[in-house]
Amino acid sequence: MTNLSRAVGRLLDWPLVGAGLGLVLISSLAMSSAASTVDPTLTFRHTIWILLGLATSLLLAHTSTYRWSQAALVVYGVSLILLVLVPLVGTMRLGATRWLSLFGLSLQPVELAKLATIWLLSHYLAGQPQPLRLRPFVISLGLASAPAGLVFLQPDLGSATVFGAIWWGLVWVAGAPRKFMSWLAGLGLALLPLGWHLLKDYQRDRLLVFVNPHVDPLGAGYTVIQSTIAIGSGQLWGRGWFAGTQNQLNFLPERHSDFLFSVIGEEWGFFGCLVVLATFAVLLLRMARIALDTAEPQGRLFAIGIVVWIAYQAFVNMGMVMGLLPVVGVPLPFLSYGGSSMVLLWSALGLLQSIRRSTVL
Amino acid sequence: MSHRIVQLQAVLLLACGLLAVRLAHLQLLRGAHFRRLAEQNRLRLIPEPPPRGLITDRQGRILASNQTIFRVALVPQDLEEASAVFANVSALVGRPAQQLQREYAIQRSLPFLPATIVASVPKDVALQLEQERWRWPGLLVKPETVRRYPRGESAAHLLGYLSQPTAEQWPRLKSYGVHPQQLVGRMGVERMFDDVLRGRAGGVMVEVNHRGRQVRVIGRREPEAGAPVRLTIDAELQALIEQSFGTQPGAGVVLNPTTGEVLAIASRPAFAPEAFAVSEASAIRRYLNDSTAPLMNRAAVGAYQPGSIMKLVTAAAALEQHLINPGTTYACPGSLTIGDRAFHCWNLDGHGPLTLPEALMQSCNVYFMQIGRRVGLAKLRAALDAMGLGRRTGWLLEEHTGHLPKRRLTEGEVALLAIGQGEILVTALQEAVIASAIANRGSLIEPWVVKAVADRPMTQRAPSHRVRWATETFEAIEAGMRRVVSDPAGTGHRAMSAHISVAGKTGTAQTHLAGRPHGWFVGFCPVEQPRVALALVAEHGGSGGDLPAAIAKAICEYVAATDL
Repeated sequence: MTNLSRAVGRLLDWPLVGAGLGLVLISSLAMSSAASTVDPTLTFRHTIWILLGLATSLLLAHTSTYRWSQAALVVYGVSLILLVLVPLVGTMRLGATRWLSLFGLSLQPVELAKLATIWLLSHYLAGQPQPLRLRPFVISLGLASAPAGLVFLQPDLGSATVFGAIWWGLVWVAGAPRKFMSWLAGLGLALLPLGWHLLKDYQRDRLLVFVNPHVDPLGAGYTVIQSTIAIGSGQLWGRGWFAGTQNQLNFLPERHSDFLFSVIGEEWGFFGCLVVLATFAVLLLRMARIALDTAEPQGRLFAIGIVVWIAYQAFVNMGMVMGLLPVVGVPLPFLSYGGSSMVLLWSALGLLQSIRRSTVL
Repeated sequence: MSHRIVQLQAVLLLACGLLAVRLAHLQLLRGAHFRRLAEQNRLRLIPEPPPRGLITDRQGRILASNQTIFRVALVPQDLEEASAVFANVSALVGRPAQQLQREYAIQRSLPFLPATIVASVPKDVALQLEQERWRWPGLLVKPETVRRYPRGESAAHLLGYLSQPTAEQWPRLKSYGVHPQQLVGRMGVERMFDDVLRGRAGGVMVEVNHRGRQVRVIGRREPEAGAPVRLTIDAELQALIEQSFGTQPGAGVVLNPTTGEVLAIASRPAFAPEAFAVSEASAIRRYLNDSTAPLMNRAAVGAYQPGSIMKLVTAAAALEQHLINPGTTYACPGSLTIGDRAFHCWNLDGHGPLTLPEALMQSCNVYFMQIGRRVGLAKLRAALDAMGLGRRTGWLLEEHTGHLPKRRLTEGEVALLAIGQGEILVTALQEAVIASAIANRGSLIEPWVVKAVADRPMTQRAPSHRVRWATETFEAIEAGMRRVVSDPAGTGHRAMSAHISVAGKTGTAQTHLAGRPHGWFVGFCPVEQPRVALALVAEHGGSGGDLPAAIAKAICEYVAATDL
């Protein structure tokens, strides 16, 4: 018996799998309620993407793909090309061009670029001596900035910051000296006014209404006001599945994607939200555990990159729907609708399992 | 660098904690607040105003009901070819385009608020406009239920009118479920019985989506119609008096001398209450600025000098004190000198020797000044007071108390008071009560005008005072009044009718406008068994023996022909 359970334990990191499955289960339930008044086929499509993600995940868990540095470079290159193609042949939605149509499917190259960047940076930084020198520090920043810049031009401010967060987490764990980090932070603050000029008007509006959503309650402030009302009105136990009025009566915009957490807050209350938060905590801490357990510097950095990716997006998304952070379009990992995101997140999970396998074996 | 990973884990937990705190703040601490906001988001109350109660006359003839009107309005932000729209509407409605443009300029406020340019158009015009509407963006035809007064200006002052509640009224009305646009009674019966007539607003609670579109109906409360109010007035008699006045300003009150029921209460000039109901701005402005004050109820609020009709009271006071008897004669040489001042009789040649009935019939000033002086100020004032002058009659709407002198008067002023001149003001309502008291042998009735509310009869109040004159006094006064009308030389002979016996007294009160006195007629009929008592005043309308006496005749003949 002991042998068998050990064998099963070796196979996969079950708490991690459980947390991931828990999140997609919650997502499917919330999606069916949110999508019922948007597009009832969404739930079905969402489920297909989840299954596709699970299959990819299982496949990748039994390979050592994460170790192939040439592959990392190729995928990174391809994702950059796709990002360049987006504004040229992409599909325009909600004022931004973020999708590429391929064989009738809409793909978001930015999701691939996130994984590719983590992959490439983990290879690059793992080969550098510790503490990190200035040269690799700057080169790695350049590698992260390339996709970030292209995404920023789409325009997609939220996703662009994801690359920044990933890079920051990776160089931190790769041993970048504190003074590099503080210099960069200082420089960033100094350039903030310049950055303000690079923003589109609607992006500025969103940042301004974050300070006070009631400046423009029916315009830029509308989403965050309605979202806070939805979450707050859920109270302790929520209004019940399919019974959230903000959701069902269309007061919540984008509720199947970026604002799905508001639907959970409204229909399942504080209790439901805590379950989601706890599941995320379990997921992320298990991932960090894998990073700590592995002896391979590249595997460790790769795992950290995934942790930062998911953690940052989850925090920014939940923060924005609760009015803690400005509204920038960042989907909630494993919950928001989005095929590319779902498949690539599960791929990342599969790759983490393979890193873990290498340490356990 | 595993310690940096541990630090990262710490940051992660911290972020989770921060989110949890925010969730607790939103959902637990302020959850109830946000729940309320969510409910406000989705729930809309669409008020359904109740139909207002009917007002009818004593026979059940409708004085106030409800109707659907069609307003023509323009929405400023949608208006494209303004001049074309004005030209077309002008052609269909039959009003000059300039007038419509002026109205639009006055009415427009916010770009999305419709500005009414024609308060009410007939249904067929509304349909025509509705058909053409697609060609003229911004044009709007809105159906609306408003108060209807089928008899136009008739009894306008009694019925009153509706308008939006005032700032003072609003807090009280709000608790009764009145919404700010709902019109409430602002005058007359409409105001006095507003609570009864108004009914209770119903409404539909609907669930709406983010666009404000109705998703489903959650609940509905039927509006409760207002209760009807039945008045004591006779609409035909009312109209008869109003028409008889024509353009002459004045007032008339007809009472049942036994019960105190007001059979008619007219005031001219009048207004059309419907103008307020449909908010016809130009008409309302005209009423408010009109120097003849058409909104004032002259019958109850108009205080005039009574002139010779006061001689009835002077005579009664002298009879009661046994200073004279009906046969006592006084000579009228045409004037009476008091101190160094001569007071003229209206007949400058003098009436010669007169008995009381003759003096009443000819309304001799010298006769009554003489007996008035003998009665003295104190007793004269007591007699006027006993007739209810200087006090409210008990009329439920607004009324003027009139005026009696309180100070010491000179001898000349006493003489003038005896003939209803100088410092004395009365209302037609008070005079009608005096006429009733003479007709019913002493009961000072309270005039009342509401027969039934919500089909429950109103209980009638007992007369508040009695005038304790001897029967002989009443008979002498009545005999005089009878002769005023019946004698060809009587000042009120114009009231003489072949169909009914009429008793009356004319009055012609001098005013500051020379040659334009107020003309009065008070009286009752039929004399043997009085069914109505009346008081009529023509403001600056000349002699009481002319128009007022003629109207009295018309009233009495109506009474003779009708079973009131």
